Amino acid sequence: MGKQSLKIALNKLNLKTPIIVASGIFSYGEIDIGYLDYKKLGAVVTKTITINPKEGNPQPRLWETPSGMINCIGLQNPGIKEFIRKKLYSANIPNVKTIVSISGESVDEVKKLTEMLVKKDVKVIELNLSCPNVNRQNLMVSQNPEDTYRFVKAVKEICRSKTLIAKVSPNVTDITETALAAEDGGADILSLINTLKAIAIDTEKRGVIEGGLSGPAIKPVGLKAVYDTYQKVDIPLIGIGGITTGQDALEYILAGASAIGIGSALFSNPYIADQICETLTVFLERNNLKNLSDATGLLNEKNKTGAKKSRKKH
Amino acid sequence: MEAKSFQIKKNIHLTEKLHLLELEGSFLQSPVPGQFIHIKIDPFFLRRPFSIAGYNDNTLKILYRVVGRATEVLSEKEAGDSLNVIGPLGNGFPVNNNYKSIFLVGGGTGIAPLLFLTDTLIRKNLNISFFYGARTSECIAFHLLPYGVDYIFSTNDGSYGYKGLIGEVMQQHIKKNGKPDIIYGGGPYQMLKQLAKISAKHKTPAFVSLENRMACGTGICYGCVTKIKDKTGWEYKRVCKDGPVFNTEEVIWENNP
Ligand SMILES: Cc1cc2nc3c(=O)[nH]c(=O)nc-3n(C[C@H](O)[C@H](O)[C@H](O)COP(=O)(O)OP(=O)(O)OC[C@H]3O[C@@H](n4cnc5c(N)ncnc54)[C@H](O)[C@@H]3O)c2cc1C
Ligand SMILES: Cc1cc2nc3c(=O)[nH]c(=O)nc-3n(C[C@H](O)[C@H](O)[C@H](O)COP(=O)(O)O)c2cc1C
Ligand code: FES
Repeated sequence: MGKQSLKIALNKLNLKTPIIVASGIFSYGEIDIGYLDYKKLGAVVTKTITINPKEGNPQPRLWETPSGMINCIGLQNPGIKEFIRKKLYSANIPNVKTIVSISGESVDEVKKLTEMLVKKDVKVIELNLSCPNVNRQNLMVSQNPEDTYRFVKAVKEICRSKTLIAKVSPNVTDITETALAAEDGGADILSLINTLKAIAIDTEKRGVIEGGLSGPAIKPVGLKAVYDTYQKVDIPLIGIGGITTGQDALEYILAGASAIGIGSALFSNPYIADQICETLTVFLERNNLKNLSDATGLLNEKNKTGAKKSRKKH
Repeated sequence: MEAKSFQIKKNIHLTEKLHLLELEGSFLQSPVPGQFIHIKIDPFFLRRPFSIAGYNDNTLKILYRVVGRATEVLSEKEAGDSLNVIGPLGNGFPVNNNYKSIFLVGGGTGIAPLLFLTDTLIRKNLNISFFYGARTSECIAFHLLPYGVDYIFSTNDGSYGYKGLIGEVMQQHIKKNGKPDIIYGGGPYQMLKQLAKISAKHKTPAFVSLENRMACGTGICYGCVTKIKDKTGWEYKRVCKDGPVFNTEEVIWENNP
């Protein structure tokens, strides 16, 4: 191997590899699953934490679908206090950054959560905007650009010196509008995408399983979200959605992602982190690129025309 | 736990839809009865969990029933093919040297972890009764059953052994011959639920292996949870990580799981 480096900087966030384990996939990082090579990981995002404990949804919570799965875990978590007491410090894997994911149904809630984490000197926070907004009947925060802006701004004001990642939902007409709102609100990095709303039908038990679709089935959707958003915003992107192989990760990088999030594929592919590192390194070598950042957005239209579309500010 | 490729030694059709899979190889950490493995069966996205039915001489045994798409594909695999396996996973049955008289109660493929348990208990010269419930005589895996144990059978249609539910048969047995020191069980939810009732009634501890749909199998996704009692009421605990073996007393048994 040559001098190629997979180190990457997303604004102030420095990672030794671009591989981030997405939220909800790896509990709080406290469990050693034995088969994952931590040396290949840049960061782990915790399961989303809320103000109060959440017991989560009843069974069934999982359903396999063609090339993917539906989950409806229902954000089961012990609440922020218990998280800080028991889980926060157990989540430290040597040389792997811990990113704490939070979610709230109101601006007040996300502010409180952020205050508590800042007090504990948590350096990177991911704001999961796929939470229902109490004031808008079942609409997620990130389904409304104004709300997205307000939530992100409120959190950023409290954690100015920290890194704030906004994670947006693909369940919108135009994801770049949400992305722009989050950027204007002060997000340092964007994570996209979260799961797609979906259902499955259990004909045997005559039930409907409603939840979020993930896995290879959503990869083309995530890729387009990254591709389009890269053309509109200036902040770095974490590409997530259906990454199952090294090739998938490379495609996300070339579309415009600076780093990538692995999600449900981690449940079945123990070698995924090694495969991604291998594919990315080989690509850099073959193309005589020194740094991974040289590959980000390489195949994006934006880098061909150079033009960035004009836009209105929030 | 580790992830590793195992070569198939045997994959044989036993009875009706029951199959025996023998994999060649070993884990760094020897599995104990009650633990399970997670097998990748292409082209399916999620792995499939199976109880370990036996482990010795570099051989890992699985007893499975074809119920859907992945188990169908599994049944078509041949000796020499490889399967990627994560394991051993979960917690085994608690064993205690004070238990001298033991009831094993299994239904369908739920007998799998009990076969492995029998293998390890048999060497200890204990008094073991194995209650085996099946739908019909055709569903019974006779030649997998080890010697040195008393077997009591029941079938839904009465084609072999008693006619009726295995839990009821065990209940009758207790009335006639007294209760054991411990009950270990595996099988359909409703059967385990009935075991829990009998165990409470006769004040005999019972440990059962639960099943649920799984994604990670390692405790990181919170997909496979079931209601388990705690100090204040109950909490959703993970079948894969906190189980799959639970004390029947701790489980909140539901009408429609
Ligand atoms: C800890 C554990 C141990 C198990 N041990 C064994 C075993 O030793 N032998 C064996 O034959 N089976 C065992 N199972 C069940 C086995 O995992 C399922 O039968 C298998 O996953 C079905 O896959 P499929 O694609 O063929 O079925 P699908 O097409 O996915 O579904 C077909 C039917 O199987 C049921 N099913 C699907 N997944 C599960 C599951 N995880 N648990 C229970 N039912 C399920 C569905 O409700 C449906 O009725 C175990 C499950 C768990 C959780
Ligand atoms: C079981 C499960 C739980 C998840 N929980 C969360 C969560 O708590 N917070 C969050 O922001 N995203 C959550 N997600 C979404 C993932 O982080 C990721 O965005 C999504 O699964 C798409 O990636 P994938 O296709 O690679 O799985 C969850 C996904 C799964 C499968
Ligand atoms: S299957 Fe993921 S926690 Fe049990």
